[in-house]
Amino acid sequence: MNHILDTLLVILLLSCFLLLGTSRLAAAVRMTAVQGFMIGLLPLAIEGGEIRLRVAILAALIAVLKAGVFPWLLMRTVRSAGTTHEERPLVGYGLSTLLGVAAVGAAFWLDSRLPFSAEAHSKLVVPVAFSVMASGLFLMVARRTAICQVLGYLTLENGIYIFGLAIVSGIPMLVELGVLMDMFVAVFVMGIAIFRISREFDHIDAAQLTSLKG
Amino acid sequence: MVPSFYLYFALALPALLALATLLRLSPAAQLRLLAFGTAGVALGALPAVIRVWAGCDEIVAAQGWLRLDALGALHVLLLLAVFVPAAVYARRYFGVEIAAGEFSAGAARRFAALWFGALAMMLLVLLANNLGIMWVGVEATTLLTAFLICTHRTAGSLEAMWKYLLMCSVGVAVAFMGILLIAAATRHTGMPATSALLWTNLMATQGKLDPALVKAGFLFLVVGFGTKAGLAPMHNWLPDAHSQAPSPVSAVFSGCLLNSALYCILRCLPLAEGVSGNTGWARGVLVALGLLSMLVAAGLLLAQRDLKRLLAYSSVEHIGVMALGVGLGGLGAFAAMLHMLGHALAKPLGFFCAGTIGQAYGTHDLRRIGGVVRQAPPWGIGLVLSLLALIGMAPGVLFLSELLVLKAAVEQQAWWTVGLYLAALAVAFIAVLRRAIALGWDSSAPPPERPSAAAAGADAWLLTILPLVLLSVLGLLLPMGLAELLLRAAMIVGGAL
Repeated sequence: MNHILDTLLVILLLSCFLLLGTSRLAAAVRMTAVQGFMIGLLPLAIEGGEIRLRVAILAALIAVLKAGVFPWLLMRTVRSAGTTHEERPLVGYGLSTLLGVAAVGAAFWLDSRLPFSAEAHSKLVVPVAFSVMASGLFLMVARRTAICQVLGYLTLENGIYIFGLAIVSGIPMLVELGVLMDMFVAVFVMGIAIFRISREFDHIDAAQLTSLKG
Repeated sequence: MVPSFYLYFALALPALLALATLLRLSPAAQLRLLAFGTAGVALGALPAVIRVWAGCDEIVAAQGWLRLDALGALHVLLLLAVFVPAAVYARRYFGVEIAAGEFSAGAARRFAALWFGALAMMLLVLLANNLGIMWVGVEATTLLTAFLICTHRTAGSLEAMWKYLLMCSVGVAVAFMGILLIAAATRHTGMPATSALLWTNLMATQGKLDPALVKAGFLFLVVGFGTKAGLAPMHNWLPDAHSQAPSPVSAVFSGCLLNSALYCILRCLPLAEGVSGNTGWARGVLVALGLLSMLVAAGLLLAQRDLKRLLAYSSVEHIGVMALGVGLGGLGAFAAMLHMLGHALAKPLGFFCAGTIGQAYGTHDLRRIGGVVRQAPPWGIGLVLSLLALIGMAPGVLFLSELLVLKAAVEQQAWWTVGLYLAALAVAFIAVLRRAIALGWDSSAPPPERPSAAAAGADAWLLTILPLVLLSVLGLLLPMGLAELLLRAAMIVGGAL
């Protein structure tokens, strides 16, 4: 079963590169949907043979939310904001992808210095978690459109979730549900926020929101 | 009655009220619901607080997932002491806007629903015994309060809202890493996963936790929740959000939101201290961040030209004092609890007065407001006196608590800390005093555009005089009962169960 887990992790890693390398917002949203689906499958792959009901329900819920509801909400936001492309990113797409690759290298190095992988289900989990987190943070800093920043936030959360799967044997169901609910509200609130910003400013370039200083 | 019922009741009431706001009510009726509903929530939560205050060690509910001890009770008490006046003040503040036709029924409904939702989530943070649930509550308060900032939909408020939303979401995500690391640290304790994250269990099994993981987790938690608490250098969102939000919301942000994030750090502090062998490592982190916050805030206070930003940076300074006090430990932790009390009385008062004076003058620009003591009696007097209280003028609770923090630092012979602490206090003192004098008595400033907004009424006098009386009386004569509650809370921060 470990092959499945490793395959999922590699797809996750690739989705991060694609996310870093695209300027089209719709494509980027679709990429996070793919990522969300993989995240939903991860706990099943870790469980292996017998799958408990609890894990199955959570996996289904995560897949529906992250691969269905969130992308749908974000697509609507993209359409209502009337912006289709990230223009003038602070860091170019080629360089972003290269930095993504460098981040993977750094993640493997960091993992070799930390004690987490010893008890994890696959040698890849922790490094992939670190790389996904790094790409998420990078997107939030290096992109100017508010949508990309939200995608960065979701990617960061995905990375943290993978990290949690690797190092914690089980998080209480109630807490997991609470976290998912918060994520849902977050995407919802951020979507409305972007809509309002785009109406007020005629753009969703968050880098231009700089009138408040000092 | 079974005590655990009190906790369910305290949580359910604001949630139900949030639903009630969805009824189609006029803005004025919505504001009445806000004021009376918040008072009702206070009445609903008080029995639990009083029980703990009266000597009961803890109230537990939901199989240990909800728990109220002295530290929680003190925080709930302060939460209510901020929310209730803020709701009463909101009636007046938005009443002015309703009269001007600037506050629609939809805006009122949204405001009231989010208000009660935020109140419910903050109570959840304070009542949760599970670190994961606590995190869920903190993140939910971020999301629910975001739209309270842009109640008035201006370019500035949208910008402040976006900054707040992103910075605090990322900060709180970082804190979740910390919680995961602490969960990982429990793997050799033999606790089942469902109960491993309960704070009481963590404290009870601290000998078996993996110290390296707990220490790493604590750092993540401090950075994450510290962002939400407004500790420098993660404070950038704070002045924007506080200055752009309507004043009742600014008061709640400053008096409750920051404290509830700091509360999460206070919960993890004894854990990190205990696991690392009480060497003062974790407390040292808080001392450093506290001092940094005070120094950064003091410097920026000097440069402020906006009344509400001045108050916002003063919040960064005061959160710094609290972190420093807790970091020093012992007497310092007691002083920090006292400081929290004083700040919860003085800062909302400052924001109320600043809000009304801002409405009267049509600006928060300090250069265009002056002589408010004569122009707008209760509010002007309240503003000047609250500013004086905030810089630690005697007699006042904040004077006493800042003195006790100093005493704690001197007793430990931490001379660098003493020096930096005094320097930051002195700079903040000068920066704010200069502004307070001009605000109060500078007669060269133009008169208010809309003096009716700052009209004096019974509610105005009550809202301004009551906190001032409490501030000075408690500063002179701290009742034994209250001191005991503060002491018990401080001992929990110090590692007592």
